[in-house]
Amino acid sequence: MRVLVVDDQELNRTLLQFLLQDEGYDVVIATNGEEALECFDNNEIDLVLLDVVMPVMDGFATAPLLKEKAGELYLPIIFITALDDQASLKRCLEVGGDDFLNKPFDKVILSAKIRAHARIRALALKTLEQKKQLEYHQNQINREHEIVDHVFKNALMDNYQDKEVVDFYLSPHSMFNGDVLLIATNPVGGIYVLMGDFTGHGLSAAIGALPLSKTFYSMAKKGLSVGDMAAELNNQLLQLLPDDMFCAATILEMNSSGKSISLWIGGMPDTFLVKPDGTLKKIINSQHMALGVLEADEFETTVMNMETNPGDRVVLYTDGIIESVNMEGEMYSETRFESFYLADKDTSIETLISELVAFRGEAEQNDDISVAYLTCTNKLQAMVEPEQPFSKLPFHLRLDASAEELKNTDPVVEMLDVVSQICGLSDHRSVMFLLLSEVYNNALDHGILKLDSSDKDGDDGFMDYYFKRQDALSALTQGDITIAAEYQPNGNRIIFTITDSGDGFDMAATSDNTVNDKEHGRGLSLLAELAESIEYSDKGNEVKVVYVLEA
Amino acid sequence: MSLTYNLSPDGKAFTIQIKGKFDFNVVQAFRSSYENVGESKPKVVVDLRETEYMDSSALGMLLNMQKSLGDTVESIRIANCRTQIKKILQISRFDKKFEID
Repeated sequence: MRVLVVDDQELNRTLLQFLLQDEGYDVVIATNGEEALECFDNNEIDLVLLDVVMPVMDGFATAPLLKEKAGELYLPIIFITALDDQASLKRCLEVGGDDFLNKPFDKVILSAKIRAHARIRALALKTLEQKKQLEYHQNQINREHEIVDHVFKNALMDNYQDKEVVDFYLSPHSMFNGDVLLIATNPVGGIYVLMGDFTGHGLSAAIGALPLSKTFYSMAKKGLSVGDMAAELNNQLLQLLPDDMFCAATILEMNSSGKSISLWIGGMPDTFLVKPDGTLKKIINSQHMALGVLEADEFETTVMNMETNPGDRVVLYTDGIIESVNMEGEMYSETRFESFYLADKDTSIETLISELVAFRGEAEQNDDISVAYLTCTNKLQAMVEPEQPFSKLPFHLRLDASAEELKNTDPVVEMLDVVSQICGLSDHRSVMFLLLSEVYNNALDHGILKLDSSDKDGDDGFMDYYFKRQDALSALTQGDITIAAEYQPNGNRIIFTITDSGDGFDMAATSDNTVNDKEHGRGLSLLAELAESIEYSDKGNEVKVVYVLEA
Repeated sequence: MSLTYNLSPDGKAFTIQIKGKFDFNVVQAFRSSYENVGESKPKVVVDLRETEYMDSSALGMLLNMQKSLGDTVESIRIANCRTQIKKILQISRFDKKFEID
């Protein structure tokens, strides 16, 4: 504790110095106001004893300047003065003094006053220290929030953006939004929209949006159904979120023609389907519990399918709108929201929000508020994947399957898995599968298992045939099939040659086209349309299918 | 491969989804799925979004379904086909018999 003594009389200075040193204080001496200010700058001063009448700068002028230098930290100034008129003493306190003592002063009173002000000074120091710590933490939190905000923005950057298809209004209650709106196109055409509302608001509610969005985007890329999406997101949130936290959500898919939507809705307010003129067409209720509540085996993936017309709008929103409260404590309510769409007027998002703001009046927003309009359209067509260049290398692949292998494996799929590895061929695997499986099944069913395909006629015939085939296959002990694939980079041809160990067949008898409208003839005519050529050789137990891969 | 089906809660849409391979091996599952369409005369949606392969027996099964369901359903739509699958359906002239998107 260091005390600054300011007095022009040497006797007073010395007296005070001895007295204070006796009490264990450090003492700094100044003979006038100017010196006092200088001393204050060069020393850490905890308390000032200030004379009033001094040359150069008097105490009344010095006190406010010292207080200014001390800033927000309390610096006790005690005037010690020979003046004893009321006006002077009053002035001592007005210019910034905290106390005064008349000369000649009483030692006991002086040290008692110094101790009292020292206590306040100590308290002030402690408060200032705490304030500094608080500021430090505040800065740290702000920095962390900036980082998190950056991560959120990047995580949600993948959102498909086209206001003509999905228009929205998002207004978080605080810096971070516990509501989430995710939009992604479907590779086969159409669009997915997910609107979610995590329990609570702020950062703790928003944190769940990160894993949710990542999973949503990757499932959208695969073109999964909304039911499967819901199940996967539920599992993820169940595992991640604490028990008392979950995510109400609507997951919606519109198909490429804009003529149908399917929705999985859990724990969300009613979804509205609105006609192009803005009037209400249908109200769709929530069917399920929120995501992250039920175990996988209790979870239901049932979806609602709705027919729509291009121009219809689906209105998705979180409960922040209908639970908005005005100054009178009334809620905006589902009824008001519904009548907004029933009235014959402009029902754009802007109008909706301005009506909501007018309703709320002076009252503060009490939750995250989100609303999105999806306008049904047929403009979102399938994405055309950039085609891979074809390999320039000629490939020859071959597999020989024995009876045991014919029973227990799927040679067609495995062969295709290998063939699809050749650069450029993967895009054609569905058609290659069809070609290869037709000839393979012919070889297996008729060449090896010796079944008669006329058994297939009709619905029951199909089933009978299936069971006969199962029986014949499980009883199989002899026979083998060879699949050879040849890739010719010149002309981009893939040639499959299938040879079975059977007896072959009379080609002349089956070459007519009369069987085309029957189920079992369809395969052959389809084959003929897709393939460049089909050639039987040997005794009819070897068939060669040539397919031209179109670039 | 797997096959799932569900009737929407309002009874208006019956969806069958086939994942992976739509061929002779699902004949039983496929037939028993549409035995559950119910009395509400729903629209049937065969969702092929995750169907990578199909062969001519799948075409046969679709036709059998159409014959068997007749007017107990309002319509049958083949939905969300991948490009190659759509090509196969078009070559088979299935776009004349079914609504395809």
